Amino acid sequence: MNGQGIHACKASEVAPGQQKIVRINNMPIGIFEIDGDYHAMLNICPHRGGQLCEGPQCGTGIDAGDFGIEYGRRNELVRCAWHGWEFDIRTGEALADPKMKAKTFDVSIDGDDLYVHM
Amino acid sequence: MIIDCDCHNYWSSAEVLLPYLDEYHRDYFTRGEQPGPRGSFPNANRPWLHPEGFKRMDINPQTQEDHYRVMKEKHLDAYSIDYAIMTGDEAMEASTIANPFYAAALVRAYNDWMIDEWLARDSRLKGSIMIAPQAPDLAAQEIRRLGHRSDMVQVLASHGAERPYGNPFYHPIFEACAEVGLPFAIHLGGQGGINTNPIAAGPTRYFWETHAILGQSAQTHVASMIAEGVFEKWPELYFIVIECGVAWAAPILWRLDADYKALRKETPWLKMLPSEYFRRNIRFTTQPLEQPETGVEHLWSILDAMYGRETLMFASDYPHWDYDDVQKLHIPPQWRSDVLGNNALQVYRRLRNSNTTEAAAAVTA
Repeated sequence: MNGQGIHACKASEVAPGQQKIVRINNMPIGIFEIDGDYHAMLNICPHRGGQLCEGPQCGTGIDAGDFGIEYGRRNELVRCAWHGWEFDIRTGEALADPKMKAKTFDVSIDGDDLYVHM
Repeated sequence: MIIDCDCHNYWSSAEVLLPYLDEYHRDYFTRGEQPGPRGSFPNANRPWLHPEGFKRMDINPQTQEDHYRVMKEKHLDAYSIDYAIMTGDEAMEASTIANPFYAAALVRAYNDWMIDEWLARDSRLKGSIMIAPQAPDLAAQEIRRLGHRSDMVQVLASHGAERPYGNPFYHPIFEACAEVGLPFAIHLGGQGGINTNPIAAGPTRYFWETHAILGQSAQTHVASMIAEGVFEKWPELYFIVIECGVAWAAPILWRLDADYKALRKETPWLKMLPSEYFRRNIRFTTQPLEQPETGVEHLWSILDAMYGRETLMFASDYPHWDYDDVQKLHIPPQWRSDVLGNNALQVYRRLRNSNTTEAAAAVTA
């Protein structure tokens, strides 16, 4: 974990597909749950500054080989609310352009309390 | 001074038009076939469906009242927009319907609703007279009906059309525009129904590839408006191309100039080079402004070749998924005051009259 943990919200307030936007150190942060783990991402898109974390938490179309498509990565992505770019919630990488990275933060949990480390 | 030349005023349901429709067409609307669920706007559907929806996902108005409130909060106030030109949304799809009388009734109802619902709320909002271009005489009637209102600043049709807009079939529309002193604008849309050629070589299969090349038909309209002599007949008419891409303009102008020089005899009514008509009479709105991976200098060079400092006007496309943020618009810094506001004040003459002394000063400057 990097840095000091700052209280963000209750874990019970966050669920897959129901991320919570909080303000920490005057920065807007999206808190996400994927399979019982919690993740934090700056709610400012590196593409054009849109409200990245206010878009849907979702999966996406995956190359199934031979020009087939299957649905995968369920709940692992957030699609920016403005221009729809897909970002990996865990790493912040944009799927179509890995050079483009959203800022992510470590999250720790103590009981029902989530802490973001900056 | 910031003038947004493409700001979409939504409705919560197309049924808001019912009180504005005549009784005959109200029956069409309430009992006739609809392309979707109750409340959807009658149109002959597009072949391409956006896989994620058109709206920015942080903009979720629930009621009709919300549409204005959210636009005001997240766009007009947030970015200090001085004027926003309403470009409607689904209403321009009336151009896809074969029955010209129904299409004309729908846009007439939309225009009346837009005046009541949007223009009456906020003096920053200015209207476009939506027309159904497949019925040029009825479109001309609608232009003459509303064209003298000070809060209407342009005539608007979809870029999807039955034929190239320079064709004499459409000239009654331009005659009416010239008579009331309004520009004629086309906006990306109307790709379906009777507008059978939105994509050259046939329909592409995916939305993103299609959206990226939808400017094709705008290229046709630009060439046609020039070649058919529209700007010789109506030298003061502005033709505005909204949301059809920008960076393709210069190479098309180079080709038009070169071919015209060789085959001038086909269109002897023209007195200037195609690029000269373009510079005098045609304006493009910026959104979605192309963003080269290889460096913005390539874009700026090609924008300069289309006289971009004079011919470009800012548009956001609020609240759509490919919205351009005025604060992040990647144009040369020294162009900003012209592209963000001055060029629009030149084209939308009525804004100058309804404007404050501040805007008048900006035009003079």
